[in-house]
Amino acid sequence: MFLAIVPAFNEEKNIGSVVRDLFNHGGVDKVVVIDDGSVDNTAGEAEKAGAEVLKHSLNCGQGMALQTGHEYAKMMGADYIVHFDADGQFLSTEIAEAWQYLKNSKANILFGSRFLNKKSQIPFFKRVVLIPLGRLVNRFWGAIPLTDPQAGFRILDKRAIEKIQIDQPRMAHATEILIKTKKYNLQYVEYPVYVIYHRFGQNFSGGLKIIKDLLLGKFVK
Amino acid sequence: MIIVFKLLFSCFVVFALLNVFQRKKEGLLGPKGLFFWVLFWLLAGVAFWWPNSTTILANYLGIGRGADLVIYVSLVIIFYLLFKLHIKLESVGRDIAKVVGKKALEDKK
Repeated sequence: MFLAIVPAFNEEKNIGSVVRDLFNHGGVDKVVVIDDGSVDNTAGEAEKAGAEVLKHSLNCGQGMALQTGHEYAKMMGADYIVHFDADGQFLSTEIAEAWQYLKNSKANILFGSRFLNKKSQIPFFKRVVLIPLGRLVNRFWGAIPLTDPQAGFRILDKRAIEKIQIDQPRMAHATEILIKTKKYNLQYVEYPVYVIYHRFGQNFSGGLKIIKDLLLGKFVK
Repeated sequence: MIIVFKLLFSCFVVFALLNVFQRKKEGLLGPKGLFFWVLFWLLAGVAFWWPNSTTILANYLGIGRGADLVIYVSLVIIFYLLFKLHIKLESVGRDIAKVVGKKALEDKK
């Protein structure tokens, strides 16, 4: 079973079309939306579009929402999962080819990269300052070296689902996954993906919060 | 008058130490915590009864006055406790997040 995991927070405007696109063009068998404490009708719109919905009663963060999705994937016995954003920034049409690429490569995880093609219109500050800083931070924390240090598009096989337990509840999960990929000696590949920027996303203060969370993670049991 | 303050503070130290041992007995304090708090209150008692002892130690460490040493040590302790509190808050937050995730899965079953 190929399962799409879509963490969502207040995405009632986009979630319906994202779920329908995943079914129509993504080649997935099932879509699970983790409604991370939304105060709008995200869950209702997702259900209407045909997704399974898991509801967090509080906003816990994207990392925790993904971990809930991982637990669900294990319960369902999923063979592959794809992490997919709810704001429509990724193209579902790229999933099937990426999945095939992962299977052909015999790797455990595929990471989408905005830098392997030049199509994505990445904001200047993000491209020139934030992303290189992200690469440095990842290197410092012992993560695998990727062209895209904060890629949200990932496909994981069964072994990776079993091994990678996301403990970082907020945005530091992206780095944590890269660290655990190295720690558990999982094979990985990168694949070019197109990202549509509806909003800026992680800014400088967001980056500092990620560093703070990674630091705290060293002390929290 | 000073002796009254010293006696009052000594009572406070004894009360604080009893509280520390009570918390250890209840399992709310580990061995490291017990060591830290017993040492802390004993040193506070010594410094209160013999204020010059802080000056001797301050001079040994190259700090001018005993009072300055007390302030520096207090600052270090306060920052350490704030850091520990921050870790505790984060830990509780993560535990809550785990419970929320678990409940979401159970609701689906």
